[in-house]
Amino acid sequence: MLNFKLLEKPLVLLFLFCLFPLGTLAQNVVRGTVIDEAGEPVIGASIQVQGAKTGAVTDFNGRFNVAANSDATLTISYVGFVTETVKVQGRNDLKITIHEDVTTLNDVVVIGYGVQKKKLVTGSTVQVKGDDIAKLSTTDAFTALQGQTPGVTILQNSGQAGEGYKVNIRGIGTTGNSDPLYVIDGVAGGSLNDLNPSDIETIDVLKDAASAAIYGARAANGVILITTRQGKAGKLQVNYDGYLGWQYLAKSPDVLDAQEYVYSRKLREFNGGAAVPEWEAKLPAEIYQKLQDGWTGTDWLDASYHKGAMTQNHSVSMFGGNDVSKFNMGVAYTKQDGILGGETQSQFERYNIRLNSSHAILRSKNKDFDVITLGENLNVNRRIRSGISQSNMYWNNVHDLLNANPLLPVYDENGNYYTNKEMAEHGWTLGSAVNPMAIAATTSQGLNESNNWNVNISGYLEIQPIKNLIFKSQFGYRFGSNSYRAMTRIHASGTNVADQDNASQQLNMWSRITFENTLTYTFDINKHNINVVAGQSIEKNGYGENLNASGNNLLFGDSWEHAYVSNAQIKKLADVSVSGTPSADNSLSSWFGRVSYNYDEKYMVQATLRADGSSNFARGHRWGVFPSASVGWVITNEKFMEKTSSWLDFFKIRASWGQNGNCNIPNFNYLTQVGFSTANSYFFGVGNHEEPTTGGSFNILGNPDLTWETSEQIDLGVDARFLGGRLGLAFDWYKKTTKDWLVSAPILGVYGIGAPYINGGDVENKGVEVAVSWNDHIGKDFRYGASVNLATNKNEVTKLANSEGIIHGPGAVWHQLEGEIYRAQVGQPIGFFYGYKTAGVFQNGQQIAEFSQRCEDKVHGGNDNLRPGDLIFVDTNGDGSIDDNDRTFIGDPHPDVTLGVNINLSYKGFDLSATGNGAFGHEILRTWANQDFLEQNLNKKIVYGSWKGEGTSNKLPIFDGFDTPNWKNMSSAMLENGDYFRIANITFGYDFKNIWKSSPLQQMRLYVAVNNLYTFTGYTGMDPEVGSDGGSGSAWAAGIDTGLYPYPRTYLVGVNLKF
Amino acid sequence: MKKIILLAAAAILGFSSCEDFLDSQDYTGKNSTNFPSTNEDVDKMVAAVYKSCFYGPFQGNNLEQYFSVANIMSDDMFGGAGLGDPWWQALDKLMYAQTNQMQDLWTYAYETIARANAALGVIDNIADEETRKQTKGELLFMRAYSYYYLVLAFNNVPFIEKAPETVAEAQTAPKQVEGKEIFKHIADDLYEATSIMPSYKYDGWQKLAFGKVSRWAAEAFLGRAFLFYTGFYGEATWPKTDGTAIDRDYVAKALKDCIDNSGHDLLSDYRSLWAYSNPYTAKDYDYVTDMIEKGTCYQEGNKEVLLAINFQYQSAWSAQLHLTNQYGLFFGIRCDGNNQDDDRYHVGTDTSVYPFSTGWGCGTVATNLVNDWQRIEPDDPRREASILDMSKTKLDPGTFSDAVELTMYHQKKITSVRSSGGTKYSWSIDAMGSDGNGNYQASNCTPLTIYRFADVLLMYSEIEKDGTSLNRVRARVGLPAVDYTDEALRNERRWELAFEGSRWDDLRRWGIAADALSKQNGQVMYNQGQKVSMSFNNYAARYNATKGFYRIPKSQIDLSGGEYKQNAGWEDDAANQFAGY
Repeated sequence: MLNFKLLEKPLVLLFLFCLFPLGTLAQNVVRGTVIDEAGEPVIGASIQVQGAKTGAVTDFNGRFNVAANSDATLTISYVGFVTETVKVQGRNDLKITIHEDVTTLNDVVVIGYGVQKKKLVTGSTVQVKGDDIAKLSTTDAFTALQGQTPGVTILQNSGQAGEGYKVNIRGIGTTGNSDPLYVIDGVAGGSLNDLNPSDIETIDVLKDAASAAIYGARAANGVILITTRQGKAGKLQVNYDGYLGWQYLAKSPDVLDAQEYVYSRKLREFNGGAAVPEWEAKLPAEIYQKLQDGWTGTDWLDASYHKGAMTQNHSVSMFGGNDVSKFNMGVAYTKQDGILGGETQSQFERYNIRLNSSHAILRSKNKDFDVITLGENLNVNRRIRSGISQSNMYWNNVHDLLNANPLLPVYDENGNYYTNKEMAEHGWTLGSAVNPMAIAATTSQGLNESNNWNVNISGYLEIQPIKNLIFKSQFGYRFGSNSYRAMTRIHASGTNVADQDNASQQLNMWSRITFENTLTYTFDINKHNINVVAGQSIEKNGYGENLNASGNNLLFGDSWEHAYVSNAQIKKLADVSVSGTPSADNSLSSWFGRVSYNYDEKYMVQATLRADGSSNFARGHRWGVFPSASVGWVITNEKFMEKTSSWLDFFKIRASWGQNGNCNIPNFNYLTQVGFSTANSYFFGVGNHEEPTTGGSFNILGNPDLTWETSEQIDLGVDARFLGGRLGLAFDWYKKTTKDWLVSAPILGVYGIGAPYINGGDVENKGVEVAVSWNDHIGKDFRYGASVNLATNKNEVTKLANSEGIIHGPGAVWHQLEGEIYRAQVGQPIGFFYGYKTAGVFQNGQQIAEFSQRCEDKVHGGNDNLRPGDLIFVDTNGDGSIDDNDRTFIGDPHPDVTLGVNINLSYKGFDLSATGNGAFGHEILRTWANQDFLEQNLNKKIVYGSWKGEGTSNKLPIFDGFDTPNWKNMSSAMLENGDYFRIANITFGYDFKNIWKSSPLQQMRLYVAVNNLYTFTGYTGMDPEVGSDGGSGSAWAAGIDTGLYPYPRTYLVGVNLKF
Repeated sequence: MKKIILLAAAAILGFSSCEDFLDSQDYTGKNSTNFPSTNEDVDKMVAAVYKSCFYGPFQGNNLEQYFSVANIMSDDMFGGAGLGDPWWQALDKLMYAQTNQMQDLWTYAYETIARANAALGVIDNIADEETRKQTKGELLFMRAYSYYYLVLAFNNVPFIEKAPETVAEAQTAPKQVEGKEIFKHIADDLYEATSIMPSYKYDGWQKLAFGKVSRWAAEAFLGRAFLFYTGFYGEATWPKTDGTAIDRDYVAKALKDCIDNSGHDLLSDYRSLWAYSNPYTAKDYDYVTDMIEKGTCYQEGNKEVLLAINFQYQSAWSAQLHLTNQYGLFFGIRCDGNNQDDDRYHVGTDTSVYPFSTGWGCGTVATNLVNDWQRIEPDDPRREASILDMSKTKLDPGTFSDAVELTMYHQKKITSVRSSGGTKYSWSIDAMGSDGNGNYQASNCTPLTIYRFADVLLMYSEIEKDGTSLNRVRARVGLPAVDYTDEALRNERRWELAFEGSRWDDLRRWGIAADALSKQNGQVMYNQGQKVSMSFNNYAARYNATKGFYRIPKSQIDLSGGEYKQNAGWEDDAANQFAGY
């Protein structure tokens, strides 16, 4: 921000000089131009004459006139640039080049309700520039943020375009919603998915409680502030950025081919598992013959694969303005074809339109500040998505592709999908064979499309009655609409049978208003710099409606284009279903204030207080007060540090403490709720099987005492720069304690009512974050830089207020027969893997005999059943018996350490950059080997890496089938190490402006890039980045790979043009 | 400038009445502040009690309803089902397979009790006296019914009088009460129900809707419960909480009331009781084709049925399968793989089991039943009416590739029944006039009979120690009259009511369970197509250790914070866990 106070007098003087152009006495007028390294004029740079009280500001052409003696010294300063000192030495028409400040010490970061110089920040925040996001050529900003924001874990739920991400700042603190709060252009509650990466100016992540505290409510999980590109005064500039990309499968899933599959059945039988099917009797003759001839069977993933599927992104933006009005507008289009899906290839398209502008309506008499400013930010987007199912193992097409039987052909000789009907006709009796291609092509698992419309608009009015006292009133409106359409054709694939076709449609619309008023005053008293903010905010959600309908028996049969509910020929009540509800209604009302103080930019103190009221709680329990405080000390500004200034440029220590709130639960939980639903109905009357009597019952016990969840955090940090600003270091230690966790913990069954939400637990997250960067240049043209960041987190549930201290995960997640495989429990991380601990595999009879001396393995049905090759389960409770009670912690899906690496080089017009990210110290459970069925495909590792005799394997047991104690019980042998490091992006570009200097364009950069080049990992699945809960519906679970759509490797070519 | 400041101040102060702003309204739901407010609300509460009392848990892998559980635990059925379903096989052996096995039975029973308690609390909202008494009787019945099978399943269970008022209360475990004590509350409820319920004479379910609990159903239940209590605990009368007791005379009078005044009666043809004799199926099913002309085909809500569970018809799989007849699916004949269109389900093939439909293959008929029946009552036509002998077809047991405890005998009473030569997955699809072939998991809506008139006749005979009404049951199927003996009565109940969920209770109250169950050991069966025999010689030991009471789900013991004690015979989890085949 410009310091208006600094400019006040120079402007007045300048004004006077204009009135008296002849000048007076000893002073001359010195003229000059200020340009940046690219030769572009710098507008608004301030020029000050040392030792005098005169100064000037550059105009649109970067020009200035200032009254100065011919031997004067000028100081030229501009935000983000190194302050330059120039001696006039009698010259006139000076040409002054200023350089970008690579040390970023003077960078300005966005904090809640304002901005602050980065060097004065006392909390823990991290800023990522929009340019750094855009240059990674990703479809969305989340992927680009990976590896750039230590302490922020970003995991994709699935690699399918348009699917969501799991974002956690400094660990999970709740079993409820642990997403951070997104604030886009000052309006809370947006979604980063709505934006094209090219629209983003900066993303600022507020990690510690003190930084986030100004957003008290809902800031318990941290805050991500997004600023979209804003207008700049100056000449009109038009940019075009675009790329085309081709996508490929990054890693083969390594499943068995038909011959290997046959071998696997032999191996299984040999090891005492199920008998080898009589292939000749069970398979159609033609398939049996092909198998004899060496046929390798169906490669299902390949059958579904669209090699080289295109992705593209185009954005055009335009900005400019003058001292009164400024604007920045952009349009963007993204299209990404999926690499999987066969006939129903997944698709993603996004359109964005953005217009940001601000207008000074009234300027002060001296024209040194704007008295009234009006502005708006408008962002409209539409997203269209169709894809294949990605949920739990029963509703996951990739899961089905990975475990489909390789002996089953995709099509029969007539080109029909080989489904139950064809199997029966051809004499396939191998059982349990499902054709996943047919499922995708005939059911809503592939036949679906969703449309999303979002309009985000905010308008603001700023009134500055006296200088630096700003009243700002902002009104935000967000409108969203989703429609979803799906179809089921008449089909018979496995258990999934429909003899009537069906179309279903959903339409939801909702809106939200926010209204905020803030008063900010900034003033200095000598070296005391003070900034005060006070404000009020209200937010109301839920103006909207939802309609769902579904109908059977479609007039146009197979046609997807005609699959609308109106085309259903409804004969009976059961052929149609309709529901309509209003959007959930909730509101939030808040008051807040903040005081920031610094003395000579050396000592900083900041205090925040926010009070929030939420409609999710009963009267009397609605209000939560969230205080915070932070301090900082720039040691390098002390006199006694002068001797280190040769190598230490900047050293700041900071500390913060604060509390944030969370009220993110369904509303009305303070009341005992009555459920009415068809699921709760009964059928009375002879022959009445269609007209229910709807039941009403008390479903969930109300808890009138329900109130805010609080997250309290301590943060200690250091920011430092060394060696002329070339080496940068940021370090943070934090401890975040979530208290009065809002949780629906299980209660006893005897009361016959659903568990209430309670404020019932504490979670602790602890960790450190380190970021190191190096920026330098060799000679004039060769610039290089590298940064590495590393973050650790340790999560532990410290209290759970129900009687057993456990929140159980659901059963049938890993396979149908297994109970809970993850849970939340006191003393353990949230969502830890729960099962039997193993101590390797019995290698020989002697080992078993020794084991039998101390222990009875009841899981294997007694020690008499043990044989070499079996898993050695550990008697964790030491009672001499291995049974259910020995299940325990066997792994943690949350990484201990995350790592990001960024490297960039440039030489003249060439640029080369690489980014990578990784995570370490976590486990993954691969579930797409579905234990329920005998005739399914497997990962090769299970067959070839399992125990084959003494010394062959001490991890995977003998392969004797999936219904055996070795394989059907959740144990540490079933978990895989999830460590990985991914080379996320490599980009090489050249700006042709360097060789075609007379071009009318300012930039003509052409680049090639690879995304997701290679992943170093020992994990056997397709992608080790597993944010998914396996479709089990627990936001707090992760690391369950039910067969996730792989994140593709993409080769891109793109251009950046600036006019 | 001043104006602007004033405006700004007004804007801020305008929102100071925050509490009103923060009040929100639920437009589609009700809650304790506005429910129940109408008569209709009370009806809805009652419907919700029926739902939790009679429908199974949603998509439960296990169908933890007392009806299914009691069938499997009896000596007449094995667990059956597939390799992946050790739950069923464990149940048959009085063992467990899943840590929280029977949790759904526990929670659904208590859900019924909570809902019934809530509805009984507002029963006076019903102004009309007769309706009020009828409705109250229904609620008392369902509360008693839930406690009854809770006690029979778990013995010592908590007694819940009212809903918790605070969260703290809901987190405190109420004490376990001895099963015998709980029985006093059951006595109270059934005594009151049988006293107050109006006598709606059977009129084809006009006055009282089919599916509802009638006075006659309450009297039948009273008989069952009285016989169990007096038999199992060896007492002459059944005490209530007020110190008085229900005695033999009261029960005999109630049963006589049902026999004489209900309007219910035996059907002339035993086959008419079962869905396979429906007209859509009968035309292709030689065994019952004669019934079409005679007009004796199966009819829903026929006069012999005192209480049945009624279901929803669904043409496709949905998230609400629990409203459909899942018993037919679980107790259906196991399909090989997922091939529900296998030849065996179609008429006219040499492997045909038509009209019996696809399912998970639970509750295969134990061969000891077939043998006993053949030996003791060789001419009984009910054997063929009740049991399908699949060995008479060319169906190879080897094609049941993942079935276990398969006996090639399957009951005909619960299994869903196909029609139209086997192309329709359930005859309900024809009955509902639906076009397609339906869905084999969703389309069966045949009502499931809980009590029928023959049962009342047999109970009356047992309580009076008189053969008259017993012989009425025998006469219907053309069997000669016999003198009353305990053995004759016991056999008659076993044949007449086979697979109808009463055998398990009968074995326990007659004190013959250990011996009877043991007979299952050594019977021939097939596991994954391999001929083996049932080799479990602990049937008697398990029964003697547990007295037939099951393991209290571990989750509930954990949640009680150690308040609940595990039942006898279930202390050693590892020893009693059945790992599957």
